[in-house]
Amino acid sequence: MAALTGLEPVAAAAAKPPARPRWWRGLVFALAAAYFLIPLGASLWYTIHNPATGVSFSAYGELLTAEGFARSLLMSLSLAAATIVLVLLLALPAMLAVRLFAPRLRPVMEVLCTLPLVVPPITFVAGLTTSLRDGADLLAPTPFWGTLIAIQDPGFPVVLVLAYVVLVLPFVYRSLDAGLRTMDVRTLVEAARNLGASWPHVLLRVVVPNLRSALASASFLTLALVLGEYTVASLLGYEPFAVWIVTVSGSKGQLSVAVSILSLLLIWALLLAVSTVFSGRKKS
Amino acid sequence: MFTPRARTAGVIAALTVVTAACGAAPSSQQTTKTAEGGANAATAASAADFGGFDKLVEAAKKEGNLHVIALPPDWANYGEIIKSFEAKYGIKIESETPDAASADEINAVKTRKGQDRAPDVLDLGQSFAISGAKEGLFAPYKVQAFDKIPEGQKEPTGLWTNDYGGYVSIGCDAKKIANCPTSYADLLKPEYKGKVAMNGNPTKSGSAFAGVYAAAIASGGSFDDIQPGIDFFKKLKDAGNYNPVETTPATIEKGETQISIDWDYNNAAYAPQMSAKGLDWKVNVPTDGKYFQMYAQAVNKDAPHPAAARLWQEYLYSAEGQNLYLKGFARPVLLPSMTSDGTVDKALAEKLPQVEGTPEFPTPEQVDAAKAKLASGWDAAISG
Amino acid sequence: MTRSRSRGWAGALPLLAFFALVFGVPAVALVAGAFTAQGRPSLANLAQSLQGGYLVAMAGSVKLSAVVALAGAVLGTFLAYAVVTSRFTLLREAVLTASGVLANFGGVPLAFFWIATLGNSGVISGLVGLPSGALYTFWGLAIVYLYFAIPLMVLVMAPALDGLKPQWREAAANSGATAWHYWRFVALPVLAPAMLGGVVLLFGSAFSAYATANAMVGTVVPLVTLKIASALTGDVLVGYENIALALSLDMIVVAGLVMAIYLPLQRRSSRWLR
Repeated sequence: MAALTGLEPVAAAAAKPPARPRWWRGLVFALAAAYFLIPLGASLWYTIHNPATGVSFSAYGELLTAEGFARSLLMSLSLAAATIVLVLLLALPAMLAVRLFAPRLRPVMEVLCTLPLVVPPITFVAGLTTSLRDGADLLAPTPFWGTLIAIQDPGFPVVLVLAYVVLVLPFVYRSLDAGLRTMDVRTLVEAARNLGASWPHVLLRVVVPNLRSALASASFLTLALVLGEYTVASLLGYEPFAVWIVTVSGSKGQLSVAVSILSLLLIWALLLAVSTVFSGRKKS
Repeated sequence: MFTPRARTAGVIAALTVVTAACGAAPSSQQTTKTAEGGANAATAASAADFGGFDKLVEAAKKEGNLHVIALPPDWANYGEIIKSFEAKYGIKIESETPDAASADEINAVKTRKGQDRAPDVLDLGQSFAISGAKEGLFAPYKVQAFDKIPEGQKEPTGLWTNDYGGYVSIGCDAKKIANCPTSYADLLKPEYKGKVAMNGNPTKSGSAFAGVYAAAIASGGSFDDIQPGIDFFKKLKDAGNYNPVETTPATIEKGETQISIDWDYNNAAYAPQMSAKGLDWKVNVPTDGKYFQMYAQAVNKDAPHPAAARLWQEYLYSAEGQNLYLKGFARPVLLPSMTSDGTVDKALAEKLPQVEGTPEFPTPEQVDAAKAKLASGWDAAISG
Repeated sequence: MTRSRSRGWAGALPLLAFFALVFGVPAVALVAGAFTAQGRPSLANLAQSLQGGYLVAMAGSVKLSAVVALAGAVLGTFLAYAVVTSRFTLLREAVLTASGVLANFGGVPLAFFWIATLGNSGVISGLVGLPSGALYTFWGLAIVYLYFAIPLMVLVMAPALDGLKPQWREAAANSGATAWHYWRFVALPVLAPAMLGGVVLLFGSAFSAYATANAMVGTVVPLVTLKIASALTGDVLVGYENIALALSLDMIVVAGLVMAIYLPLQRRSSRWLR
C-alpha cells in the first residue's frame, strides 16, 4: 500500500546531497538505454534501409496486411488470457496456503516451481508428445480419449494453455513470492478472519489488493511469454502469433527481422495499455 | 473454500466437467477413408488400385485438402509446386511449419496418429526415410513413373522414393569478395577471414553435415572416413575464417555471411533474391569435394487424406512436377530418364551449377558411421 | 496443528495435482526414455551422457548460466533500483513493461540483433575496432544472454524493492546510519531472499536457452541444450533421442544441485523475516 507510492521520501531522507542520486540514476539509465536500444536500432536500420533501394518501410506494411495477422494474434491473446487466469487460480491459493498453514511444504513448492525452468522446451514437448501419444493408445477404450483429443483441437488448443501454465509457473511463483514476502500476510489474514471474513472474502478483498504489483508483474510476464512463445506451439503444430510470424516472413531477410521488431513493439504497447488501465483503476 | 463439503463438491464438479467434455466413442476412429469410389484409398499401393489415374484424381478432389509439413517456399521451388498443384486439381494445401526438420516431421506423424492434423506426405532426409520405413510409419505407394526411378534411389515396395537432390556448393557475395572460392582448399586463404559460414551446425543441419562430408573428400578422406573433414573445419576455425553464424537471407543481406556452404539449390535460389537487393550471389560446386545427396518422399500410413496424398506423389513425379524442381535449381531424380526421352525443360537444365562426372552415394551404414563420428568429434574440434 | 496442515495441503492440492498431471506425466515419459536403449531398460544413455563431448557441453552450460545469472542479478538489481526510485511513473511503467517483453525475447531475432551490432559486419564493430569473431565466443554469448537476463531480474526485484518501506530509511537515518549502513544491515538482508530467487531464475533461464546460441555460435561454445536439440529436432542424427532425454535428466539433476545450495541459503536469509 504505502510502499508502492513511497518514492519522494526515500530520495529526501538520504543522508547524502540530493544531486548524487539523480546523477547516478541517469548514468544507469544511459548505460541501460545504450545496451538495449543500440542492437534494436541496428536491426531497425537494417529493415528499413537497403543499399539498392534506399529507405522504405515496406516490410512493416507487408506484415500488417498479411493474411492471418488478426486470427493468430487473437488466438495468442485468448491463450494468454486463459493461461493467466488458470495460473493465478492455481498458484495464489497454493502459495497462500503453504505460507499460512504448511511451511514445511515450502521447499517442495520451490523445487516444483523451478523445475519447469530447467527443462528445455524441446524436451518438455518431447515428453508431452510421447504422453499424448501413449495416452491416446492407453485411453482409447475409455471416454477420456475424447478429452485428450479435444484439448488438442486446433481452434483453441487447451493443451497449449496447460503447457504454458507449466512454463510460466516459475516466474509467477517468484513474483508472487516476492509480493507475499513484503506484505505481512499472516497478520492481515488473521485480522480479517478474526473480524469474521470468509476465506473467499479474505482472498479477494484483503490479499489481492495488497498484491497488485506482484500480480501485475506476474500477469505481464505471462502475457509476454505466451505472445512470444514459439518452440512448444510450433512443435505441437499450432499457429499462434509467434509461429505465424515466422511462417509469413518466410525467407525474406528484412521482413523476418521487421516482424520480430514489430512483435516486440506490439507486445510492449499491449502491456503498457493493460498496465495503464490497471494503474488508472487503482487511484486509491 | 476450505470446508470439507465445499472441497468435495468442487472435486465432483470438476470431474463431471471433465467427463462431459469427452465421450467420443473411440472405436469408430479406425474408419479408413473407404467408399471413395469403392477403392480403399488408405491401402492403395498404386494408381491402378484406384481403378486408374482419373479415379485417383476424383477421389483426391473429393477429399479436397492436403496437409503438408516442412516445405519452405523457396526450397527446391516448393512454393510454386504447391501453388501449381492447388491450381491444377483444386485441392487446398495446408502448409505447416515450413522450417521444421526431418525429425519434427517424424514426430508429427507419430504424435498425431488418428487426428485430422496429421501430415499426409513427408519430404525427409535419407536416413530418416530409412528409419521411418523400418518403424512402419509409411504406406507403400508406387507412382506411375516408379520404374523409371533408378535402383538404389527408391525403396523396393515404394515406402519411400528419392525426389530431388543437390551438390554441396559454396555460395559467395561477388560484390564484397574479389575472388570467389571455387574449392575447399581456397577457403583456407587469409582473405576470407571471418567470412565462411554454413547453414547451421553439422550435428543438426543436413546441408552442414554434407559440407563436412564433402570437406572430408576434398582433404583426402572418403565415405568411410569423415575425420579429415572435421580436421579441415578445425583448421578453418584456427585460421579465423570460420563464421559460426547460421546463414539466413537476413545475414547474407547484412553482409555477415559472405561465403556460405550449402546445397547448390539453396545457394542458387538466393541469387535472384539477392540481386534485387543489390548483391551478386555466385554459386560454385567445389572442385575438390563433390558430395551429392537426395531427399526422399513418403506417404503417411495413417494419412487423413490418403487419396490426395497419393495424387501429390503422382504430381511430384510427373514431368511437370520434376521440371518445377528443376526450376528451383534442384536435380530431380528422374533427370536422366527425362533427358533421354526429351521431357526435360532444357533451358532450366542448363541453368544448373555445372558439375562434372556422375555422383556416387555412400551406403546408409557409411553415413551412420560418419554421423556417429561427427557427433562425438565435432564439438571438440570446433570449440577447442 | 493437523487441521492447519491439512488446510495447507488442501489449498495446494489443485496446483500439485495439475503439476503432477501436466508436468509429471511428461517427466515420467522423459525418465522412461532416458533409461531405455534399443528398446530395453539400460543405463547406457546416462553413462554416455556423462562422458566426453557431452560432459564438456554440460560444464559449458553450467559455466555460462552461472556467469549470466550473477552478472544479470547485479546489473538487474541496479537497474531495478534506478527505475523504482525514479520520480517519473511513466518511465517506471515503460521500463517494467519493456522488461516483461524483453525477458521473453530470444531465439533467432535476438541473435540477429547482436550480429547486426557486434558481428563481423556489425554497425558498432567497425567503430570500436572489434577483432573478427569476437562476438562468437563464450563472453560474446554471455553479453547477448544478458539481454533477457537483466530484464528478468528487474521484474523480480521491482516488487521486492517496492517493499522497502521508506520508514526504514528514515529510522536508520535517525539512528545515525549512513547510506552504506542502511544498505548493508537493513535493505540487503530484506532483499536477499528475492535476489537469491532471481539468481536461480536467471540460472534456469540461461541454462535451458538454446535457439539464440544455435543461430549465432553453433557449437563453438559447447552447450548441452544444443546437443539435445540436435538429437531431438534436426536433420542429421537419427536414433539419438534417448541420449537427449538422458541429457535432459542430467540437466534436471544439475538444477536439483543448484536448488540444494539455494534452499538452505534462502532459509537462512529469511530467518529473521517472519
